[in-house]
Amino acid sequence: MEPLIVTENLKKVYRTGKVETPALRGVNLQVQQGEFVAIVGPSGCGKSTLLHLLGGLASPTSGKILVDGNDFSRMSDAERTRFRRHKIGFVFQRYNLLPTLTARQNIVLAQHIQGNGFNPHRFQMVAEMLRIADRLDFRPNALSGGEQQRVAIARAVICEPNILLADEPTGNLDTENSQTVLAMMRTLNRSLQQTLLMITHNLEAAAAADRIIRMRDGQIIED
Amino acid sequence: MIGRMIVANVLHRPVRTIVSVLAVAIEVGMVLLVVGMTTGMLTEAAKRVGGVGADIMVQPPGASFFLGVTAAPMPVKIADLIDGLPHVSQVAPVLLQFNTSGGLNLIYGIDMKSFNKVSGGFVYYAGGPVQHTWDILVDNWYARANNVKVGQTLNLLNHNFHVCGIVQHGKGARLFIRLSTAQEMTGALGRASIFFVKCTDPGYTDNVLAAIRKLLPRYQVLSVREYMSMMTSNNLPALTDFVTTMIAIAVGIGFLVIFLSMYTTITERTREIGILKSLGASKFYVIHAILEEAGLMAVVGIGVGCAGTFLLRTLIVTYFPTLTVQLTISWGLRAAGLALVGSLIGAFYPALRAASLDPVDALAYE
Ligand SMILES: Nc1ncnc2c1ncn2[C@@H]1O[C@H](COP(=O)(O)OP(=O)(O)OP(=O)(O)O)[C@@H](O)[C@H]1O
Ligand SMILES: [Mg+2]
Repeated sequence: MEPLIVTENLKKVYRTGKVETPALRGVNLQVQQGEFVAIVGPSGCGKSTLLHLLGGLASPTSGKILVDGNDFSRMSDAERTRFRRHKIGFVFQRYNLLPTLTARQNIVLAQHIQGNGFNPHRFQMVAEMLRIADRLDFRPNALSGGEQQRVAIARAVICEPNILLADEPTGNLDTENSQTVLAMMRTLNRSLQQTLLMITHNLEAAAAADRIIRMRDGQIIED
Repeated sequence: MIGRMIVANVLHRPVRTIVSVLAVAIEVGMVLLVVGMTTGMLTEAAKRVGGVGADIMVQPPGASFFLGVTAAPMPVKIADLIDGLPHVSQVAPVLLQFNTSGGLNLIYGIDMKSFNKVSGGFVYYAGGPVQHTWDILVDNWYARANNVKVGQTLNLLNHNFHVCGIVQHGKGARLFIRLSTAQEMTGALGRASIFFVKCTDPGYTDNVLAAIRKLLPRYQVLSVREYMSMMTSNNLPALTDFVTTMIAIAVGIGFLVIFLSMYTTITERTREIGILKSLGASKFYVIHAILEEAGLMAVVGIGVGCAGTFLLRTLIVTYFPTLTVQLTISWGLRAAGLALVGSLIGAFYPALRAASLDPVDALAYE
């Protein structure tokens, strides 16, 4: 089967003034549909950068990214945005919920941006699976970190993305909440065949995945 | 959904919202009041001139018809020439004076006999006609606004006048003194600023008009009907300049406040914009959301501005009965349109900036 994600010699160099920081130095990666991949590595090795490129939030300096057969390097900014809208879900360490909206409105907003309208079935299924059904009418500041992150996951998967990209989703959570969130990620992966890439610093968290990729200095050193 | 997000944002920063709404409200109120008061004043003045009852007005060369401001008055002897023309029944010479202390007041220096013949005579609410040098007639509006009674002294143009009567308003000015007094005060002996000409029948107006123009080619000769339509149209350059300037200032205020408001908003919400983009929101979506937010504040501001203007008009008319504020639907719509468009233009640059933020940078923003 064709891999869902393919990168070839992917490079990213950040330029701030005259200083160049090579964040990725040739990443070759293949991820199959339905895989749960953990990415680990020391701080600054380029994990987040890789995730941003895979989600089309930034464009590579050189190299190729194919996601579901779409070559990002040949797509415009607007096309990548459209692709992200329909195929990619993001989860961040800092939850990144809109503070002025309730949990429910945060999730509905994602559906609205996607433009397919409100799907009550999917909504209920996701809310129940993530066990947030009774927290939906609260604003983020009235939710615990674990609850906020579950709402953020719900928002990320509500539109059935092909790929869920999570950047240290348990980084701000205590052990108990981390385990709940990880369990839910695994459930999503197992029962819905959700393809999942998750950055983590936590080896226990990484153990939840099918596959662990280790990075260092902008390269994959172990797969 | 955008709507709910916008309402949430607007409520999230109430002070910012109130200031923006007030700016738009002031903008709308300013436009409506400036236009309303100038047109009100104009139509009032025009109506009063119409109320004199003349068919034709004659003014010296170079005079402006607006309120009859004139540089050098013309000799009253000319009135006799006009009087001699066929179909002319009466000519009333009037010398205009302005009293500027305590509000702008137009004073007519009149010759009682001819003015009465042209106008059909004053209706007296109290007292009687001017007889002595320092007698003055005031109209009932002026009397009410300034609490003036017959027999009291009124200091105008550095002279103490004796109020000899209160008349019904609507005959040219609100204050009347003797023509000879006015001439003496201004050193314009034997002169007048306007001749009000009455024809034997209004049907002869055009004939008389032609005859006077032939007799006095360089003079400003106008039928009162023409004058009145001129006063209500946009033929008054000085005045429209003033109105346009005031409107520009008002729209500028609304524009700048909305611009600043939306600009600070997007800076404050940089991360939220990053979140929207990570969810796949297009540039158009972001621009749309921000313009809609500005539009919402503008619409509320327009509502508040219109309501406030009505309230203000009630207050103005109650406390300053001599002022008229003319509010029209057409100007209400124009003011609303200007405020809305000004706000959207003000919000456009911030919206564009927000839309072109780099999502990764925006998400990293503290
Ligand atoms: N916007 C940027 N401008 C300049 N350099 C950057 C930028 N973003 C990241 N970098 C640099 O690129 C390198 C990789 O950063 P990245 O955020 O991908 O690391 P990471 O593996 O996610 O680290 P962490 O585990 O701390 O999150 C780092 O050296 C970082 O300093
Ligand atoms: Mg990182």
